[in-house]
Amino acid sequence: MNKAAPFFRTFDFPRRVIGLAIAAGITALMLMIFLAVSRADIPLSSSSLQPDIPHLVRMSLIQAALTTALSLGVGIALAWALNRLRFFGRQLVVSLFATAIVAPAIVVALGVIALWGRAGWINGLLSAFSLDWNGSIFGLHGILLAHTILNGAFAAHILLARLETIPARKLKTAQSLALSPLRRFMVLDWPAISSSLPPLGAIIFLLAFTSFPIVLILGGGPANQTLEVAIYSYVRLSFDLRAALNLALVQLVLCLLIVLPALLMTPSLADAGTSRHLHWPDNKNARILQWLILLLALVGFGLPLLAVLVNGLGPGLFGVLVQPRFWQAALTSLSIGTASAILTLALALGLATARNSFASPLARTALALPAFAYLVIPALVLSLGFFLAVRKLQIPPADAAPFVLILANALLALPFAISVLAPALTAIDRRYRRTARSLALGGFTRWRLVEWPLMGRAVGIALAFGFCFSLGDLGVIALFGTSEFSTLPWLMFRALGAYRTNDAAAIASVLLLLTLVAFWALPPLMKKLSHARS
Amino acid sequence: MLTRLVLTFTLALAASAPALAQQNPTLTVYTYDAFAADWGPGPALKTGFEQTCACTLEFVAADSSIGALRRVQLEGENTNADIVLGLDTSIVGEALATGLFAPHKVDTGALRVPENWRSPVFVPFDYGYFAMVYNTELMPTPPTSFEKLAGNPDLKIVIQDPRSSTPGMGLMLWIKAAYGDDAEEAWPEIAPRVLTLTRSWSEAYALFLAGEADMVLSYTTSPAYHLMVENDPRFAAAPFREGHYTQIEVAGILSSSPNKQLANDFLTYLISPEAQVFIPTTNWMYPVADIELPAGFDTLFVPQKTLLLDDETVTENAARWIGEMLKSFE
Repeated sequence: MNKAAPFFRTFDFPRRVIGLAIAAGITALMLMIFLAVSRADIPLSSSSLQPDIPHLVRMSLIQAALTTALSLGVGIALAWALNRLRFFGRQLVVSLFATAIVAPAIVVALGVIALWGRAGWINGLLSAFSLDWNGSIFGLHGILLAHTILNGAFAAHILLARLETIPARKLKTAQSLALSPLRRFMVLDWPAISSSLPPLGAIIFLLAFTSFPIVLILGGGPANQTLEVAIYSYVRLSFDLRAALNLALVQLVLCLLIVLPALLMTPSLADAGTSRHLHWPDNKNARILQWLILLLALVGFGLPLLAVLVNGLGPGLFGVLVQPRFWQAALTSLSIGTASAILTLALALGLATARNSFASPLARTALALPAFAYLVIPALVLSLGFFLAVRKLQIPPADAAPFVLILANALLALPFAISVLAPALTAIDRRYRRTARSLALGGFTRWRLVEWPLMGRAVGIALAFGFCFSLGDLGVIALFGTSEFSTLPWLMFRALGAYRTNDAAAIASVLLLLTLVAFWALPPLMKKLSHARS
Repeated sequence: MLTRLVLTFTLALAASAPALAQQNPTLTVYTYDAFAADWGPGPALKTGFEQTCACTLEFVAADSSIGALRRVQLEGENTNADIVLGLDTSIVGEALATGLFAPHKVDTGALRVPENWRSPVFVPFDYGYFAMVYNTELMPTPPTSFEKLAGNPDLKIVIQDPRSSTPGMGLMLWIKAAYGDDAEEAWPEIAPRVLTLTRSWSEAYALFLAGEADMVLSYTTSPAYHLMVENDPRFAAAPFREGHYTQIEVAGILSSSPNKQLANDFLTYLISPEAQVFIPTTNWMYPVADIELPAGFDTLFVPQKTLLLDDETVTENAARWIGEMLKSFE
């Protein structure tokens, strides 16, 4: 491409500067957090636990690898089915699949149990036909099921967005050649999605590797645990911050070793455009298979979430809705979610556009890595570090709480937003780079005239991720929350801790509903806006 | 004219701010979340204490009492907290070892606390007993001991991870207090009955209420909540032959506090009958003052035999004992 172009003179210069500045800023922030924790001078307790690290690493690796393989497989199948089928409520189903990954993990875990547990819907149905299923949902398979629900649905969401960018002209050609469903998948779909798979796999692997509440609840005990649990117990039980930090570094290095190859892979050619106006269904046999996949996915993914909604929208809901503290928490959650969505989008665009302007793999990786920083560092270490750093700056934690919450959650959502935006941006870049350069369209003008009109939907999805991650946050707020400052998940956690299971269920369903609305409304809204301006 | 008005106003504000602060000191109490919540004892205590103290009482809620202690440890001498409230007897030894707490001047002589627990540094303000809670409709004859529980293969219980949860730690100490050195043999027999270990009490209790387990590790007082708030008499705590482990909740004043007198006043108020009357129905624990218990508490099972290990032994051995326990689950 423009390898020979001098750094300062390229028309990409502003983008490069912004991207590198963001990457440097995130790296500096992470360093500051690590330093703050390692410098904390806390006297050690008398005794300390000695976790079996090799065992934990082995278990985490097996579990994360299985989760990644299952989730990608399920994601591809589901995206394929959703791309071909048209039915009433399709957009709602697509949104439903996106909500799993952003909902508080405890909500999803309880949803899975409400469906598959001993007293769950499936068992209720089976016993109505006097069948008995004696299996238990607790164990490695329970973890894998919950993780596949979370990540498979997420993967499907991302891959579906890729499939929808296959240009109509290509589809027309393929249609006129009467490609079989299999050939069509290999020739059209696979090239469109394959470039998304390595980064997607990396995110899923990291999520599974560092998963905590789900692993603890559904794992059925300490046999199936992750490093994150050991780190947690160091901080919590023996308050040995140095040991926790050392473990966090082990986790960081392991994760980097796994993520780096995925990021170094050169993305294959992808398309930019939209196939919205051309719907080409497959033949009957393939359609039957697609309906079957969709049905299974709806039962497997949709029902646990539906169970949460149904359990929460009972009589308890009214009691919650009349509480002023509910509305206060809802307002806080919505404002923080909005701010964090905008920040996520800005950071993701800055990093992803800068990445496209570099040809060297080194520069591209340097811009991609910081996005993953937040996923590989244990949430507890991060919130500790933020807390210590804020104190060092002499800011009362209560004042800093909203800003830390916005920043931390934007960073958490960043890899997800990038996985939505980057493939679209790369495809546009490939197609329009030469035109843009000949017209000397610089950073912002190129965004306004070329990129934004083509990727409104992707922007909407990225915003939805940013919004929902901070809506569901339970990690950062635990250290910063006070009695005055509270969010919906915090309120839910409170209610759960005080026997108020019905209140908690009602808040959980409100949270899910908000998430659902965000994923249902934001992508089409942004798409409409982007078209209106072009 | 306008400038002058603004100036006067600003001066008045500037003058009144420190004066107000002097008149009305703020007493900051770090505690666990359920204590500070709207339905917890926090709001009533705030109203009650502020009527007499000419001060502002502020509760700062951490996710748990251990979380509150860790936050004070992180903040060290610069902490805003005057008091940490809600630590329990399994972590008191460790809290003492931090050296962050100062002796109190509260007269605790008249208090009724299990094992007559007293400390020069910490003031006990409520207590309870750990128990396995069950649904009497679904299980008419509950096990009467850990031995019976272990011997019933149809039974599933849900407990908390001792590394992250105070009740989880309580169960570990319970087994240790009941079985001593044999605890190491007891755990492998109990482990197959355990559905899962959760991070917190909330998650375990939610699983139990959802019908996933027959019993959950909670308190003998838990059924009172269902009875009195939800009008649901189905729940009960199972009496165990081994006896029941005691949890005493305490509060301590930080040595860095500039408001020590006020802090002592608050703790004196906290254990007075006027304040203790809120404890049973907001914190669902037993009060330490000699007050009449609300109707509903008379239906509860009160253990005859109670267990409690001394603070020092717990602090010294907890990590090792947890290791022993967790080995049975791997």
